[in-house]
Amino acid sequence: MEEVKNNTGQNLGIAALITAVITFVLAVIPCVGLIAIIPGIIAIVIATVGLSQSRRNNSPHGVLLAGLIIAIIASMISFSQIFVAGKIAQKANKWPNNIGNIINDVQDNVTKEIEDANVSIKVESNGNKVEINTNADKKDKEKTLEDLEGVATQKRDTIQKHDSIQKHVIVRKKK
Amino acid sequence: MKVNVRNEPYLIINIFFAGVILLIFAYSGFFSPEKDNYPVVCIHEKLTGEPCVSCGLSHSFSLIVRGRIAEAYQWNRYGMRVFLFFASQLILRVVFSIFYLRYPDTRKQLVTVDCIGSGIIFFVAFWPFIANIVSGFKF
Repeated sequence: MEEVKNNTGQNLGIAALITAVITFVLAVIPCVGLIAIIPGIIAIVIATVGLSQSRRNNSPHGVLLAGLIIAIIASMISFSQIFVAGKIAQKANKWPNNIGNIINDVQDNVTKEIEDANVSIKVESNGNKVEINTNADKKDKEKTLEDLEGVATQKRDTIQKHDSIQKHVIVRKKK
Repeated sequence: MKVNVRNEPYLIINIFFAGVILLIFAYSGFFSPEKDNYPVVCIHEKLTGEPCVSCGLSHSFSLIVRGRIAEAYQWNRYGMRVFLFFASQLILRVVFSIFYLRYPDTRKQLVTVDCIGSGIIFFVAFWPFIANIVSGFKF
């Protein structure tokens, strides 16, 4: 009896091989190497399905096998890019593996934000209410301090003025 | 002799790869280095903050397509060799397909030569990137 050759899985084999080769080229390029794992898995699935079909029907499976091998190697290369990226970043001290550094960064950012914030403090005791509204603008405060220091080093009468300002502030607080 | 392309996997693969390479060239021609409107971003750089060896490859390709070779080298020094790989593959797909159709008796040898030759060209062109992967496991 003549052996009947079946081409089941041939199209799947071509699809798997094309996907596998494209995955291989992508996997080697570091910029897009990490995402190459997606077509890699697709190629492995296609090749595996094709192989099972071809084995069942006793059809040639050379292309399918080639596709599967290339897809597996390409996926391994793509996966290895994660470790390569990690090690390169670790060498440059930029991989966020130190949670303490991240917390410090966040803390610094929050402190910077607060420096320019408006602060309102309300104190209530025995029916008396005190409300203090202030602008915590660091630059303004520094400028005021510089002005005051400049004034303090000039003449005695200006210090008296400064004292009177302080008294005025105390009186307003009491009110 | 009339050839049915559907029954020739080698020809289908060749046509498909030629199409993919043409798409790469079209991508390089369509997106301009002046506008910097490339949709593909470096995932490696996004993750690590460090530029990788293939950064600037799209810019480099666009500049090569426009004939600005010196600038292309500045964007990525391996851009030219990768571009030449794709260009050579486009020519090889056409040439091997013609040979495949003209000389049916030597098809097996032709496919073998193609696989080995393309593999060697690939390793030569992509060697800096492969070396980068290998070096990642060293330290």
